[in-house]
Amino acid sequence: MSELRQIAFYGKGGIGKSTTSQNTLAAMVHYYSQKILIVGCDPKADSTRLILHEKAQSTIMQLAAEAGTVEDLELEDVCKAGADEFNPDNTDITEGYIMCTESGGPEPGVGCAGRGVITAINFLEEEGAYDDELDFVSYDVLGDVVCGGFAMPIREGKAQEIYIVMSGEMMAMYAANNISKGILKYANTGGVRLAGLICNARMTDLEYDLAKQLAKALGTQMIHFVPRSNHVQRAELRRMTVVEFSPKSEQALEYKELARKIIANDLKVIPTPLEMDRLEDLLMEFGLEDDVEENAIGKKAEEA
Amino acid sequence: MFICGYHFPASEGNDVAFDKVIEKVEEGAGDVEGKTVKLTGETQKGEVLVETEVPAGTFAHKAFIDFYNNADIEGETKMIYYTNKYQISEISKTVDGEATAELCKHLDDMNLYRVTVA
Repeated sequence: MSELRQIAFYGKGGIGKSTTSQNTLAAMVHYYSQKILIVGCDPKADSTRLILHEKAQSTIMQLAAEAGTVEDLELEDVCKAGADEFNPDNTDITEGYIMCTESGGPEPGVGCAGRGVITAINFLEEEGAYDDELDFVSYDVLGDVVCGGFAMPIREGKAQEIYIVMSGEMMAMYAANNISKGILKYANTGGVRLAGLICNARMTDLEYDLAKQLAKALGTQMIHFVPRSNHVQRAELRRMTVVEFSPKSEQALEYKELARKIIANDLKVIPTPLEMDRLEDLLMEFGLEDDVEENAIGKKAEEA
Repeated sequence: MFICGYHFPASEGNDVAFDKVIEKVEEGAGDVEGKTVKLTGETQKGEVLVETEVPAGTFAHKAFIDFYNNADIEGETKMIYYTNKYQISEISKTVDGEATAELCKHLDDMNLYRVTVA
């Protein structure tokens, strides 16, 4: 039996982390029969909806509040089997499966999201959710890198292998760089490593070059360029992953290829984050414009 | 890391020399003599914008034959992963220069490409 790998998807809020992670994990199950536990670590609790075909799963924190304390919960209360082909009892398409849980968090503006995440992870471990049969545990972590919840899976030595979902625009790259700083901070104490950037493309010119150069500068790889496709949204509207909705589509094949690479990936590094100036230089070097003179800063297009 | 679909072990770092990629691609392509590689580029809506033949004797010619032979994709015409087309373009610019400059301009765009080998 292979060793359990604990991976996490990080990235700027709104970049498509949950969509990318669910579609990729679904492909790992559909095509490669992997057995996976998803631990949603975002108070939005949207890390499992495409796998469960549900709006949002009841979270560990919600259920604990209803029951009194987290000790009053059983694993079965918080951990749900994926729908249809992702259910362990359904082996028509794959021997693999996905189990789903969401940590949840406090009401907006109240408390710390990180506390919910770590309470949830500890509960899952104590209750035996990380069983020997699993190939992967996947954490889908909230995008706000200044929140304490952000660091929990890596600070506590849970997630060992981080994939950053990004695109070729400034704020996504800024977030990827910041997340790399977080990984660097805990790399020696917890053993966490950066395993690659996933470019969830906006389909802007030179986006591949930009993502690749950022990956290279961070000491990692741009593991896969996921093109934009209407299939993703169509599947989402049906609360499904692309591999279920349209398994022969080009987009499903892209997720299949990303899944193959993640399963085989062994490039796990301590990242080398960039200074802000270097990040801006990268954008200039590989961005949409050849160069922007100092006197053009703040000028409108028609003035340039 | 992964280039043109091939896995290069972590011990080789994150900046694998093109020579090593070319070696794997040539091995995967096998005998390319007399083979014709045709590409089509289409928009997200399926409108074909580009139809082109890849110049024989170039890295791109071998790389697309290798992809066609080995990618786990059904059909006589195979879609090309975006990552692969960008990587093929990147290497081609270095090793074939002008011979594939026009082709690389196409490959660098945002369209979906399909390959047929005859």
